[in-house]
Amino acid sequence: MKKLLRRDKLKIYGDLLFILNIETKKGKVILTHVQLKANVPFDRLKTYLSELKELGFIQDEPSLVLTERGKQYLREYEAVLDFMKRMGLTYE
Amino acid sequence: MDNLVLILAEVVSALLCFTLVRFMMKPYQYMGESRYIGLPLGFAFLGMSYIFMGLALYFETSLFIEEEIKWLQLFTQAYAFAFLAVTYYFSKKGSEHSRLRWRITFAGLIFAAVASYLVVFEHPMFGLPSYKTVDEYFRFFNIICVLYITIHTLRSHASKPDPKTIWVPLSYLLLGFSQYSYLICSLDESFSAFIGAHILRLAGLLVFLFVAYQTFYGRRNMRREEEILNEEASA
Repeated sequence: MKKLLRRDKLKIYGDLLFILNIETKKGKVILTHVQLKANVPFDRLKTYLSELKELGFIQDEPSLVLTERGKQYLREYEAVLDFMKRMGLTYE
Repeated sequence: MDNLVLILAEVVSALLCFTLVRFMMKPYQYMGESRYIGLPLGFAFLGMSYIFMGLALYFETSLFIEEEIKWLQLFTQAYAFAFLAVTYYFSKKGSEHSRLRWRITFAGLIFAAVASYLVVFEHPMFGLPSYKTVDEYFRFFNIICVLYITIHTLRSHASKPDPKTIWVPLSYLLLGFSQYSYLICSLDESFSAFIGAHILRLAGLLVFLFVAYQTFYGRRNMRREEEILNEEASA
């Protein structure tokens, strides 16, 4: 069985912002869907979301959405992932 | 050939490398993984080696300093390729054990770099071998490192073929051929190999710059997002 590698917090933040962005585009964000897609326990998800909120990457009023800062971070994060792919580096 | 043209080629190469360092720093900044620090370090060392070469050409008449600078160039370039090769070696290994091995390797490389720089300025009692001989061995070492990176990046491209991922193996290949041309030049003093080496090196670095600019300043790539949305819409 393939061993799952530990994800860094930065990668989890990136993945969460990515998932939240998709879920927002689809309509209302349902945390259970986010939890399943991000593959994190629900209590930890809550912690990460509050950390992202503190960083100013997301806001939860009127609903959970990415702020401009969050969108900017996500764009750069996606560009870095693309750059790493082009450089032949894999991030697991 | 006029030294000024050669110095200019070294300066341009160094500028290209230092511009690339800015982009190579991003994986480390965004992922927070120390194993990616070898990428900007490798390009910074490469840039420094071109600066040293430029200085050696500039100080060609003052014999006492030219030799030392040429030795510095030799070591710096070898460490540049070593850092890059080690980064690629550890790039797929994210476990705690591999992180420890990366730290040990990294510390070893830094220690070896400092020790070899000291040797350049404080010659040992037994003296150093001839520059030309060491230059050939170092070029050979550089070729091995670049070859390893090229194979690594090509395998990565072959596992998920994408036209975007072929440019980097190509640029590493150009850097490898450049080292090979320098080796040929050192062995038979071929002028065309010498010029070819410079052209190949500049071409390789320009391809890297093209890839970096295309990624960060080209059309924003949100393909991952589009793919997921399309998949979910069709499901």
